[in-house]
Parts: sequence; structure tokens; C-alpha cells
Amino acid sequence: MTIIRSCFRVVGLVFLLMGLVRGQEPSEAGELTLEVRPSRLVLEVGETARLVATVRTGDGEVVDDSEVIYFSRARRSVSVTREGRVEAYRPGDFTLVALVPVETDDDSRRPDARVRVEVEVTVPLPATEEVTFMAVPSKYYVGTNPRLEVQVTDTLRTVRDDIEVTFESSNQRVARVDRFGGLALREQGTVDITATAGGVSETVVIEVENSPVVSLDLYASADRAVTGEVIRFTATAKDARGLAVRGVPVRLGVSGETISGVIAVGATAHIAADGRFVAERSGVYTVVATTGSHSATRTVSIDSRNVAAEVEVVGRGKVLDRHTSDLWVWEGSDGRDYAITGTWGAAGDSYIWDVTDPGNIEKLHEVKVDARTVNDVKVSEAGDIAVISREGASDRRNGIVILGVGNPREGVPVLSEFTDQLTGGVHNIFISENHVFALSAGRRYDVINIEDPRQPRRVGQFELDTPGHGVHDVWVTDGVAFSSNWTDGIVAVDVGGGGKGGSPERPVELGRYTYPSGWNHAAFPYKSQSTGKFYLFAGDEAFPYGGYSAQPGGRPSRAAGWVHVIDWSDWDDPQEVARYQVPEAGSHNLWVEDDIMYAAFYNGGLRVVDVSGELMGDLYKQGREIAMYLPTDPDGYISNAPFVWGPQPYKGHIFFTDWNTGLWAVRLRERTGRPHVVGEPR
Amino acid sequence: MPQCLGRLFLFVTISLVGSGAAGALGPASSYYVYVASESDDEVAVVRYGPGGTELIKRIAVGRYPTEVEGPHGLKIGPNGKYWYVSIAHGFPYGSVHKYETGTDEWVGEAVLGLFPATLDLSSRTGLLYVVNFNLHGPLEPSTISVVEVETMTEVAQVVSGIRPHGGRFGHDGRYFYSVNMMDFELVELDALSFDVTRRLALGEGVMPTWVGTSTVSGKAYVAGSNVDKVFEIDLDTWTIERTFEVGSGPYNLALSPDGTKLVITYKSGQAVGFLDLESGREIERTRTSRPIPHGVVVTPDGEYAFVSLEGIGDDPGTVEVYSMATGDRVGVVDVGRQAGGIAFWKKLE
Repeated sequence: MTIIRSCFRVVGLVFLLMGLVRGQEPSEAGELTLEVRPSRLVLEVGETARLVATVRTGDGEVVDDSEVIYFSRARRSVSVTREGRVEAYRPGDFTLVALVPVETDDDSRRPDARVRVEVEVTVPLPATEEVTFMAVPSKYYVGTNPRLEVQVTDTLRTVRDDIEVTFESSNQRVARVDRFGGLALREQGTVDITATAGGVSETVVIEVENSPVVSLDLYASADRAVTGEVIRFTATAKDARGLAVRGVPVRLGVSGETISGVIAVGATAHIAADGRFVAERSGVYTVVATTGSHSATRTVSIDSRNVAAEVEVVGRGKVLDRHTSDLWVWEGSDGRDYAITGTWGAAGDSYIWDVTDPGNIEKLHEVKVDARTVNDVKVSEAGDIAVISREGASDRRNGIVILGVGNPREGVPVLSEFTDQLTGGVHNIFISENHVFALSAGRRYDVINIEDPRQPRRVGQFELDTPGHGVHDVWVTDGVAFSSNWTDGIVAVDVGGGGKGGSPERPVELGRYTYPSGWNHAAFPYKSQSTGKFYLFAGDEAFPYGGYSAQPGGRPSRAAGWVHVIDWSDWDDPQEVARYQVPEAGSHNLWVEDDIMYAAFYNGGLRVVDVSGELMGDLYKQGREIAMYLPTDPDGYISNAPFVWGPQPYKGHIFFTDWNTGLWAVRLRERTGRPHVVGEPR
Repeated sequence: MPQCLGRLFLFVTISLVGSGAAGALGPASSYYVYVASESDDEVAVVRYGPGGTELIKRIAVGRYPTEVEGPHGLKIGPNGKYWYVSIAHGFPYGSVHKYETGTDEWVGEAVLGLFPATLDLSSRTGLLYVVNFNLHGPLEPSTISVVEVETMTEVAQVVSGIRPHGGRFGHDGRYFYSVNMMDFELVELDALSFDVTRRLALGEGVMPTWVGTSTVSGKAYVAGSNVDKVFEIDLDTWTIERTFEVGSGPYNLALSPDGTKLVITYKSGQAVGFLDLESGREIERTRTSRPIPHGVVVTPDGEYAFVSLEGIGDDPGTVEVYSMATGDRVGVVDVGRQAGGIAFWKKLE
């Protein structure tokens, strides 16, 4: 007799592969076996099926009161109820598990004789529904090579890039088309170009005209530039009347020679389709524009950027017995200069330093709060209020602590603390116009009014609505908060200055930008002095290499990730245009001022980078690095292990904190030797 | 998950630390526990045996050297081959990680809910059940995660209540008991159906932190941390049978294997108490060597209780060993900061 625990039925186009799976446990006396039908499922998205389980004793007798647990190893893609009803949500290959729990009181079975069966479920990718030609040009000219782009969507309205698209021309004499959609327009006439994907086709009819172009001119915004400097090339096609012809596809390419002595360096320059050109190495480069049978060339010379400077250590505030976290430097109401630094994985200390004379940094106070980590420290614009973050508080309330720092030489009183809804720990904070923006356990940020710093009060908060969202940092400038949100990238929010009616009480999102790695950790908004462009410098944080120990004398770590430069002049159209990536090191906090980026690169030390002008491509390779410095100390918390946390330029000096050695003050000085770019001859 | 391979490293330190005065020579057998240090992102192996108490090994956990990820709950699997640790902080979700005992090599992980904390395995299903404490802000219902440990896959997440904590299985592995600290209740979850089957209100404003279950009596014990009480729950009738007035801030509980004694850590009282369950009287209370006692586990032979102490700020965490017979502290050794979750591993003769 077979006990049917649940009925079995076919739904829609469900393919049920008949058969059964038997539990792998050996069928000894007293042991159970489990059979599940069907043994494998193929379901379309949205379809359902039913599993039927039969439990037998080692003697083959059906156990009619045995319980069977079902669960899915991918429940957001395919679910199974306790009755064995299966429903498919997403395409892919998945596994369901049926399990007979152990009867604890049954002494006849081995304690771990749990019988289980796996049922494989395949949910095929949806069929193609539509192939659409995108941005089809209005004119087609003989001799040109425009490229057609298509978008493939499936029956779930998902855009698919995994389906091969084939192209076909109805008339090879008029136009040929390659597998990328690139056209070779050969003579006047009409031609059908058909794109096919997943059995679905779409055809565009193209009228190919004789080209009116009789000449092609190429202009360059400069004939001479330095590495990393963007030159804009403009190609103009003209007709017999000398008038510009619009809509003619023009291809741009670049070739060149580096200067003598720069050998085997690979590609050293590139040009974008819109005519932006940048070179990484000194040399002579020729840009070629072509359309039809016409071409034009322009040659430019690129010199070394020659911005290198030397770093001079001016002073230190040593912290060797614990890790140091973030810093802030400010001018007190007494006109003297001060710095506050946090500590990490220690006793909840933050240190107040007098840095008026950077060559003689003096520790004034040790402020101890109930915490293990004071990850972040910030000071108000007026220089009278500091806020420090707390993690690892013994009472687990964490939150923030507000300090009076108007005149640190006379004391740094604790004015108040604020813990409400910040109990999970505050990792980063920012102060702007009497409001503290405080991260709550990496999930959202709260806006806390500190007009009366002794009575802080929450007035607003901002949280994303994406699945599994998180937030790591927030930086506010001119009434816009820029949060860094790992996989959700950077989110710009109007908190009073964004022009969308936002306020601290009612933040309004302005835009967001994500990038593939999901490593977004910090962001620094900056309006370029030299170009007027609004750039967002977004730093990664990633530790893919492992192998570290944060303990004293431990093994230093190595980070990955880089600084992404995003042209965000239009909230609705952020464009990632450049990067600063240091090989074998990774970015952390950063600061941009006077068109110079100061970036902490953990094991890659302090980096000072010229970010003047329009930015494009790989800034590291363009010789934009002004200076680097690797702080070491044999007596460091981890000996001789640079791990730069955060920089801040201040009154002609660069202050930065290093995880293993504390506070440093350095300054740039003119290079005494000949300028040198690594990889280029001296 | 190649990225996770970076977590396989072990930072191993062998350090003989002075044992407590009460047990300088230690017992003839060696007892081993694992203990998690929440503010140092490490798990330690501690031995108490001949020669006293010894820190055997420190195992770094987590993936980010510059983020405190917070290992919190610990449990050894029923066959002793693997240990499991919940890591409270993530981006934003926490996770549970599986390691092989002895080698302490990382095996796998599963991402769970917000601030996963206490965890336990069901002897019936073999699945791991983890409460997601969600110490992340507003008081909102959180969940209990169910994890298949063979593949380290979260297979269910069941809404429990506000601030679920202190989960332990009853003796037959069928029902998982936890408390909702800010819903003031005890919750019973069916390990087979993944349903919350019963809720027991402990009294308005009573903030429970832990459940201890008896292997012999069908009773559960709940720490009412803010009211200085321990509640004895009859699991058949689902009622509070007795209420014990205890010391300040009872936090974690552990029962002796014979069900006669309940060991209590007093978080705010900085002590460990030994409650005789027959008389309902606390027979011993010993002040701990550092503040904030946290976890407690009793050895299967009923001889010793191992207690973890968090400390404050830069204090190291500490593991103390107590004689169950006398309540005396017989061993002590420092481990990483904010020692919390603690689990018995093995006894070697």
C-alpha cells in the first residue's frame, strides 16, 4: 500500500520527470528509507508542482505517520511548503530537500540516522519576447560603418544580455552586417537588417544614401598637453557647399609613439567616441578620424605632467599601544589649531591634540567613553562641538557622544550622549549646520539636531528601500548628504541645499550611482576649481586577501579597491569617468581640496594626487601622483606596517592617521632631484 | 566562495596563563570550551585540566580587519565535528559560520538576519536555529533563521518578535525556545514545521534574556534580567510554575545535566549564582573577577561551569571555571575582549 501524503498534479507546462529518489541511508533493520516523487522537476517561472514522499522501514513497510520536512536551498527562487507544494519564482537550477527527522525516543535508530533526499529543480530561462533596435540613426551614408544596437527582453520583461543575437542583411550589395551589428554600407539602396535572438526577430529597414561628405576636418582643443590632460577632438564632415553634415558616423582612433626610453608600455593613450583624448605617457600621438572614404589626422605632443613633490615629515602624535581610527583638524575659538583622533578595538579613547605647531604635536586630553571603538570623529564648522561614534559599549547602547571642543586647552567636557535607536553601534558620523548625521548599525542614517548640544534630538532619518541595503558612511556638503552604501553605491540626498525641498527633517533623494564591485565605502563631493565640474570621489573598501591579524604584533593586512571618479554634474546622469587605483593596495578615506586629492590607501600609504582639469581614465598611470608616503615605526602596534586610515589637508600641512602608529603631520616640498615618473626614464 | 578563503587563516597563540588559586593544579581530566570575543573578532579555545586553565588557541573570525564584526553566539554540533559562530554585524545582515573543531578551519557561512545572536542545533532535524536579535534601532519584529548546516544555507526565516534572544532546544530537539526581550515573552518554535507554536507572556515590562531547558524534567528556565527573577516554565502546561527571586541582572542560564542546579550569570551583579532547583534557593553566589558576566556552560559530567566575562573597554575578556559542587572559582584565563558566547567542546581523560 502506498500512502499518498499529498496529491500529485501537473500544472500548466510543468514537466515532471517520473521516477523516485531514495534516501542514501543504508536500509538496515530499523532504518528508514525515503522516496520522493517526482525525483526531478522542470518548472516554468510561476508554475507549481507537488512532491509526494513515502517513508518505509528497512523491511519495506510504509510508515504512515512519519513526518517529512521539506525545504528549499534557494527559497527566493523556488519554494516548497510543508505539504510539498513547489512553486518556481526565478530561472536557474535549484535543490529541494526532503528530510525525515530523527525520533529522539526511538532507540532502534542510530542517533544521526537522519534520512534525506534531494530533489533537483530546473527553472528554464524565460523565452525571448522581443528584440528591439535601439537608437537607430536617422541617416545612413554609403561608405560609413554605423553600428546597430539591439535590446533583448524575455517574457518576464527582463533585459537579457546572455542571449546571442544574430544579424542578417537582405542585400549584401547595399549593406553587410557583422555579428556585432556593425554595418558596412556599400552602395545606395534599401536593405532590411534583421536581428534574431532566441527565435524572435526584428527588422529595421535602412535607406542608404550617397554620402554628401566631400571633406573631413579634425580639430583638437590643444596641440600640446601633459599626461592626464584631456584634449577634445572634434571631427566635422562637410558637404560640397562647405556646410557641416550632421549625423554622419565618424570613427576615431589613436596611434602614437612614446618618448625615447619608454619601451614596451602597452597602450598609452585612448580616445573616446565623443572625442575626449587622454595619454598616460609622454610622446607624440596621432588621432585619425574616418568617415566613408574621407579621413583626417591630427597630431599632438604630450609632455610629462611633472607634478611630483617630496613628502617631509613635520611631526607626529604617536599612538603605538592601540589602533588609531579617524581624525579631524580644526581651529579652536582661541585661534590655536587642534586635532581629534579616535581609537579602534581598544578602550573607547579619543585623543585631543594641539597641532598649532605641527612639528611639536602635543596631546592635551584623553577622552574615554564606554566603547571599544571610536571609529569616527567630527568637529562642527564653528569648531566648538565634536561628535564621536561608539561601538562595543559595555551596555550595548553605543550611539554618539557630544564633546565641547571650543577651547580644548581649558578642557573637553562631555556635553551629552545620544543612543536612542543607535544601539547597534555607530560607525560613521558627519556634522553639518547643527545636525549630526549618524549611521545606525550600517542600515540607515539618523539626523540629530544639536542646536542645544546638551539635548540632542532626532529629527529625521534616511534609509534605502532596496533588498539587503546597508550604509557605511555619510558626508554632507552644501545641504546635500552623500552616503556610501556598498552594493547600493552612492546616494545623494537633499537635506536642505539640493533644491528639491529636502531638509534634515525630510530628506529627499536626488540621485544614486552604483558600480559593479559593491565595495563603495566612502565618498567625497567636490566641485573642480579648474573645470567647474562636480565630481564625486567614491572610495572602495575591500579585503579579499585575508591573512591578517589586528592584534599587537599581528600580521598586517592588504586591501583592494580604488577611488572612482564620477562626473555628477547632472543628478540624473552620473558618469564614472576616471579611477585612481594603486596596484596591490586599497582605498579608504579621502579628501579633495584645491584640485588635489589626498587619499588613504591602507597598506599603500598616503597618496597625494593632482586632480586638476577634466578627469578621464586611469589617474594613477597618468603621472598625476604628486607624492606618496608609507608611515612606519618599528614600535608600531603592528611593527613597520603602514595602514593609513584618513587624511586631512590643513593650513599647508597634511595630517593623516595611521592605524598602527597614530597621528602624522607632513608637508610637500619641491622635489630636489629631477622629476621622475615611475616607468619613464629620468 | 573564494573570497571566504581568506578567512581560513588561523592566528594561533599558545599561552599558558596562571590558573585560579582555587584550582591551581586542576582536575585529572581536561575540559575544552570555545568562547567568542565580540570586540576582538576572535574565538578562543580554553582548556581546564591538569596544570590549571590554559588559553590553547585564538582563532580570528570575520573578513574585515578594520570593521568590528562581532562574533556572538557559539555552539558545537552534536557529533563534535564542527562549531558554529554567529557574527552579528554585516552589511547590514549578520551571518553564521561553520568551522571544523580541532583544526578550526573555516568550512562555510550563511547570511542571516540583523544581528544574529544565540543559536542551537536540533537533534531531530540536524538544522541550526539562530535568533536574529536585531539590535539595530527601532523596536520592530525580528526573526529566527533556520540553517541547513551541510550546505550552510538559510532555508527559512520565521518572524518571532521584538529582540529575540537566548534560544535553546528542549531535550527532544523538537521545540526551540527563545525569548523576545522587548515583547516580554517566551516563544516556542516547532523545529519541524518552522512555525511559532506558543507564546507565553512573562509579565508586562519583564525583559527576558535567556532560556535554559532541562534535559530531564520538561521544564524551561527564563532569565528575567531587568526584574531580577528566574521563571520556571512547565512546558506541558505552558505556565509559569515557579518564580525565583535572584540577584541583580540574571543574564544567561545553564542547567546541570541531572536538572538539579541552575547556574546564573549576573550581568549587572557581577557574580555567578548556583540555584538549587528543588528548594528554589540560591546556594552559592560568587563574585566574578571582572565585570559583565555573560555566557555559561556546564560540562556534561556536571563537574564544572565555564563562565565568560565581557569586561569593559580595554579589559580582556575572561573565562572562569567554577566547581558545580561548591560554587568556588577554580580557574580563570583571559581571552579576547568582550567574551560572550561559550560552548563546551570535549573532555579528555
